[in-house]
Amino acid sequence: MIIPLLKVTNLSKSYDNIVGCKNISMSLYPGEVLGIVGESGSGKTTLINCLSGNLEPDRGKIIFNINNKKTDFLNISESEKRKFIRTDLAFVHQNPRDGLRLNVSAGGNIGEKLMSVGYRHYGNIRSLATKWINKVEIDKSRIDDLPITFSGGMLQRLQIAKNLITSPNVIFMDEPTGGLDVSVQARVLDLIRSLVNELNLTVIIVSHDLAVIRLLADKMIVMKNGTVIESGLSDQVLEDPQQEYTQLLVSSVLHV
Amino acid sequence: MRKTNNVIKIKDFKVDKGLPFDQEYNFAYLDENTKKMIRRAIIKALCIPGYQVPFASREMPMPYGWGTGGVQVTASCLTKRDTLKIIDQGADDTTNAVSIRNFFKKTSNIKTTEITEKATLIQTRHRIPETPLKKKQIFVYQVPIPEPLAFLEPKVSETIKMHSLSEYGAMHVKLYEDISKNGHIETAYAYPVKTNDRYIMDPSPIPKFDNPKMNNSPAIQLFGAGREQRIYAIPPYTKVKSLDFEDYPFDPFKAEHACDICGSKNTYLDEIIVDDAGNKSFICSDTDFCNKRKNK
Repeated sequence: MIIPLLKVTNLSKSYDNIVGCKNISMSLYPGEVLGIVGESGSGKTTLINCLSGNLEPDRGKIIFNINNKKTDFLNISESEKRKFIRTDLAFVHQNPRDGLRLNVSAGGNIGEKLMSVGYRHYGNIRSLATKWINKVEIDKSRIDDLPITFSGGMLQRLQIAKNLITSPNVIFMDEPTGGLDVSVQARVLDLIRSLVNELNLTVIIVSHDLAVIRLLADKMIVMKNGTVIESGLSDQVLEDPQQEYTQLLVSSVLHV
Repeated sequence: MRKTNNVIKIKDFKVDKGLPFDQEYNFAYLDENTKKMIRRAIIKALCIPGYQVPFASREMPMPYGWGTGGVQVTASCLTKRDTLKIIDQGADDTTNAVSIRNFFKKTSNIKTTEITEKATLIQTRHRIPETPLKKKQIFVYQVPIPEPLAFLEPKVSETIKMHSLSEYGAMHVKLYEDISKNGHIETAYAYPVKTNDRYIMDPSPIPKFDNPKMNNSPAIQLFGAGREQRIYAIPPYTKVKSLDFEDYPFDPFKAEHACDICGSKNTYLDEIIVDDAGNKSFICSDTDFCNKRKNK
């Protein structure tokens, strides 16, 4: 039997009286891409923030099982938690400006991740950064340029490179193509898909765009009012939605 | 000014030059309670080398950026038996040095000197003297920005966390940027160091040439940042290591010249434009060291 990489049990988080997410249970297996969909305010971002350590949930359990080492994510010390987040997790923000240092060059941004896990050899950091700049289809002559000189799509690709360089075990993506125009979206999605296949990444991706989920996710969960109302293989959920809300969601996709 | 019980009266005093001693001030300007508070911060700072201790910095009769932090630390450490030396960029006769020296002459009437070996307490801006510091000397730095992580992380709550968890990886980003832009580590002053294998510390804007002098020094080194309200310290004989990369080791750079006055080849030099044609002269920044060498 395969042990899940991430097991969540009865996770709840509320903001005063407003429910963020309620009694969420789910598992994520190695190499799997899990999509989380739902309308705005349904608790997608609250859930992903709890799982990635950005938010402290009120109740529930989050257990990571990486290389046969169990980590009870909500019951470890602050320093262990930050170290775990640094080495084993990665977070791609919707707005790449949130995940990058804009006053530091592209290479410095990518290299920071390496330096934070202990790399102290400039030559090695430089060559790995160059390799990853290439991998996300940015010209390597741009390595010393500041991110403010980059286009929106390039910024997002740079952020992806920064997150993947240390080969994290779980990658969280919060609307990674949210702020981009359609043609750039397609290119970034294409890149994410090829990286997922090539590197066998384990990803949790949040999106309100069903096309993104259909393209990338193996499994998906549908959220409404802070709870999971439907889950399963993405093809299955999208082709044969059981819940009224999911049916509405699927039927409201524009076919141009 | 109203007299208080704290005012120390010294009847028999001599003033060599500068402003006359003013008995109306408490000894070394600050009141005794403030000194006590600052001494406590200093003791804590000495116990945790490189850790920035917050303190209730006072308004001083000089603008921020002119050494208000250093002056408060000096005032709190000063005793009547002390001999004080003040240096500014290595020199004893520049504006900042002269005015702070006069300030302490006026408010405490202690002996002052320009000779490094004779001083028991030295306050400095931007240099460590060429003459090695020795046991029982106190060396006070004026610090404009005490937080070495400020360049990367503007949130103080976050930098405090980074210090407490030793999350220093990002510190090398600055050095990385230097090498990628210039081919070598361009940072020439305020070069970050790791103190006692634990805290990353800003050594104040001394040239990196002086960084090795902090390592294992027999003197007590105190750092005061008035505007930022922080005191930190290096106790005697403490390991202080400058950050670097394995393939780009730390290099205490100096100009490739000898001093035009004393001929010294291994001291830190100031570059001075001497005429309208752009001719240059290189001279020791440490005036005391240079004068002694010249007179030998």
